[in-house]
Amino acid sequence: MGMTSLERELKRGSAELLILALLEEQERHGYQIGQLIAERSDGAITFHATSLYPTLYRLEHKGLIEGRWVEKPGTRRRRYYRLTPGGRGVLAKQRSVWETFSAALTRVAGVRHA
Amino acid sequence: MRSFSARIRSAFTAAGHPLDEDVVEELAQHAESAYESSRAEGHGDAEANLAVETLIRGWVADPSALRRQVRRAPAVVPPAASRGFAAGSLADATYAWRLLRSRPGHGVVTILTIALGVGAVTTLFSVANGVLLRPLPWASGDGLVQIVESRGGREGRVPGTVMNGTFLAWSESPQTIEGLAAWRAGTVTLTGAGDATRVPVTSVTPAMFDLLRAQPIRGRTFAAGEGRQGQPGVAILSHGMWQRQFGSREDIVGQSIALDGASYTVVGIMPAGFVFPTGETQLWLPTELPPVDGPGGVKRGTIIRAIARLKPGVTTAQAAAEGTARATTAPDAGPVGMALFGAASPIQIAVTDVNEAATAEVRPAIIILLIASVLLFASAIGNVANMQVARATVRQRELTIRAALGAGIGRLSRQLLIENTLIGVSGAVLGLGLTIALHRVLPSILPAGFPRADAIAIDGRVLIVAVVLSVIASLAAGVLPMLFARRLDLARAMSEGSLGSAGAGRGRLATARLLIAGSQVAVTSVLIIGGMLLTRSFMATMTADRGYDPTNVLTATVPFPGGYSFERRQQARARIVARLKSRPGITHAAFSTGVPLMSAGGYTSFTLRSPFGSGEVQAESIRRLVTPDYFGALGVRIRAGRPIAGTDVAGSATAVVVNRSFVRKYLDDVPIERAIGASLGSHAVSGTAYSGDATVVGVTDDLRQDAIDAPDQPEMFVALAQMTEASQQGASSIVVVRTAGDPAAYVETLRTVMREEDPGIALDAVMSMDQRVGQSVSRPKVYAVLLAGFALAALLIAGAGLYGVLSHGVAQRSRELAVRSALGASRPAVVAVALKQVSIAMILGVATGIALSMALASNLAPFLYGVPAGDWISFAAGPAFLLAAGVLACAAPARRVAQTDPIQVLREGG
Repeated sequence: MGMTSLERELKRGSAELLILALLEEQERHGYQIGQLIAERSDGAITFHATSLYPTLYRLEHKGLIEGRWVEKPGTRRRRYYRLTPGGRGVLAKQRSVWETFSAALTRVAGVRHA
Repeated sequence: MRSFSARIRSAFTAAGHPLDEDVVEELAQHAESAYESSRAEGHGDAEANLAVETLIRGWVADPSALRRQVRRAPAVVPPAASRGFAAGSLADATYAWRLLRSRPGHGVVTILTIALGVGAVTTLFSVANGVLLRPLPWASGDGLVQIVESRGGREGRVPGTVMNGTFLAWSESPQTIEGLAAWRAGTVTLTGAGDATRVPVTSVTPAMFDLLRAQPIRGRTFAAGEGRQGQPGVAILSHGMWQRQFGSREDIVGQSIALDGASYTVVGIMPAGFVFPTGETQLWLPTELPPVDGPGGVKRGTIIRAIARLKPGVTTAQAAAEGTARATTAPDAGPVGMALFGAASPIQIAVTDVNEAATAEVRPAIIILLIASVLLFASAIGNVANMQVARATVRQRELTIRAALGAGIGRLSRQLLIENTLIGVSGAVLGLGLTIALHRVLPSILPAGFPRADAIAIDGRVLIVAVVLSVIASLAAGVLPMLFARRLDLARAMSEGSLGSAGAGRGRLATARLLIAGSQVAVTSVLIIGGMLLTRSFMATMTADRGYDPTNVLTATVPFPGGYSFERRQQARARIVARLKSRPGITHAAFSTGVPLMSAGGYTSFTLRSPFGSGEVQAESIRRLVTPDYFGALGVRIRAGRPIAGTDVAGSATAVVVNRSFVRKYLDDVPIERAIGASLGSHAVSGTAYSGDATVVGVTDDLRQDAIDAPDQPEMFVALAQMTEASQQGASSIVVVRTAGDPAAYVETLRTVMREEDPGIALDAVMSMDQRVGQSVSRPKVYAVLLAGFALAALLIAGAGLYGVLSHGVAQRSRELAVRSALGASRPAVVAVALKQVSIAMILGVATGIALSMALASNLAPFLYGVPAGDWISFAAGPAFLLAAGVLACAAPARRVAQTDPIQVLREGG
């Protein structure tokens, strides 16, 4: 694939941002998160299920999300993740950084709407 | 699912990176979902399996990224050891504060527990302090004593009083006392200053103010001779009355005011702080006691409250001896004394310090409740100690390492002490806050007429108690963990690992914790049994048969204006009854000179020659003068004969309705039907217009006059219409109305009817009979509610304590339990092992509690009605309830034991 380090960082940052954003609405389990990322970005960002769990565990270790086993009647128990107050703060901050970044990108790199 | 887990597990194991079971389960679920969605999209089994295989291969490629690292709370760094005492203590305090904040749940529970205990004790202490320890506001100087007369061991109809004869005899040149003064509370109607209002007054003998050493701020106090019949009326205003009713007018002294239609001259105003006998009294009137021997050979008896001031150096016993001797020199009041005391002699005078006398009734209850609150506090402190020990064993590694790194035992002890002081003080401050909050609502909780309720406040003494309690709490919470710190064993702690070891749940500390839990159970048993006894007793007083039906009955005193003639009074009563009965919803209306639970009412004493031939007896009885509908209005059951009727009028034969007690005591206990028609002689009812014999026409059930547990008293009912003017003088007029619904809804009707008759009638003491009953049992109610409240709090505390001890013990012994399980012990057997010690502590605690309660219950006996002190229901149900709560508290830790996977425990511990 030959990803540059910039690409990797961008992708990694965006993956974390995406997961935090998805968990802002409600708590979800891993498979759901993977599916939703694929769906919502129209396949533009598919990040492999391989990196999904490492990302979740990293976010959990940072204290931005927390996972817990939930047993719902009629189904077997699944591990659900939800946003912590810390995660909520980071999400807000990352969002504004991302917006500034993409605006700057648009200006500097001359990416313009047709 | 199983196959996916197995595939993932083996893939990782093959790669040399075994995964946590958690992660395996999570990944397996993902794999399964991926497989299912692949199949759903129409792929075959092989294809779907391939997708899963790719997925797993992707995961295995970076196994270290799939290691979940459990997030730990940021460590709180302990302070360095090498500091001076002051700096070190400050550092310790900061450290303690950080530790508290790092585990807010533990801190909050501990502090709340202490607050509950401190709050209970300080509140009860503030009541005891205000009621029992603080002097009466008017008892300035030493030696003020209350004088009480008893005859043959019986106090007067109004307890705590003396008779006029005794008072006057002792007043003449007394030896042991400086002087005597008497007082009686009442109410008058004030007119001419706005609407007619009822004003609480106290009638005092003129010497009262001098005896109290009280000075007026305007005018003078009473002079000797004032209050005597025929003297002009004079009055002294309270400061409050002067401000409210008369706008602090300087010229009010010397002006006249109208009380009960008569004119009184204001002669003085008392200062703002002056209170006698309670803050209720708005003005004082002079009174003089009549001599026993009245004009024309009439014996006059009256009972009144009296106080005296002892001469310096005289004891109460010496004064009592003089009083008793003097009383015998008083002229014999004959049957009047009989009627007032129920016995003629021997006269005994008791002299008691006024402060003691004022609170004698409530002292035992306050002391019992105070002890109960101290027990609750002890139980709360037990919990705190237990929680702190649990905390210390969890922190064993921290403490051990610090000890190993050179922190001396003294230093660590100080650290623990400061930590616990922080907790103790916070709890005490919060508890004091709880007390302050309770003080806001206390006036509405305390029963009506609770003595000295106005003196209950948070003063220096209450604060000192709070401080002492916080010190006790801090020490108690700190001592056990400190002992623990002294026994730290570095090698053991390090080798056995932070999760604790098989042995850590045992030993002396564990025994101490079990002992605490057992004691808590014992204390709670005592409180629960006591609470149940009082509650059951209170319920018994509420449901007991009082001989009448108090539901839907409205009563009020009708003070007819002073100028009413006898005829006008009679006509007014008849008109009022007729008007009331014509109102919708009023089924019965009557007048009477008294109803149960109201101190007003007449007594009579006469010589009765038994109509059944057993000779002469001195009969003494309550005498109620009633209009015909009284029995219907109050719901009194006529058991034989007839009630008082409209045909019992002036001039016709005197008809008397008596109660069962009267028949039992004075009519030879004949069957009540035989009592009908019995003649009571011509002296039985003095003051009728008829000169012949009075005849029994009906018999009612006994009525409970005052307290539900007071002995039955003989009672006679006579038609008001048959009585002469003289015999009705001074008697109260009480209207009794039976309503179809809630009597409160008819208060306005009653007032309207009175206004229609005469706007000058200001109704007094308007209350439903249910309210009177409620008021009469308000003390037992408060005692029961408080003790039950303490019991409930103790139950919560003991439950939390048992839960804490058990769950901590289970955590400490997890390895031992796992080993037992692994060696083949069944789940129930392992749970039984885990519960054994706590169960023994609980059962021993309950047994001790029952034994203690049996020993203590006799102290509650004076507060119990209808329930014996050894009431088996309380003794069985209380502990049963406690055991149930204990089982509940143990359920969660026991379940945890049952559900624990021994392999997991052993792997983690290893």
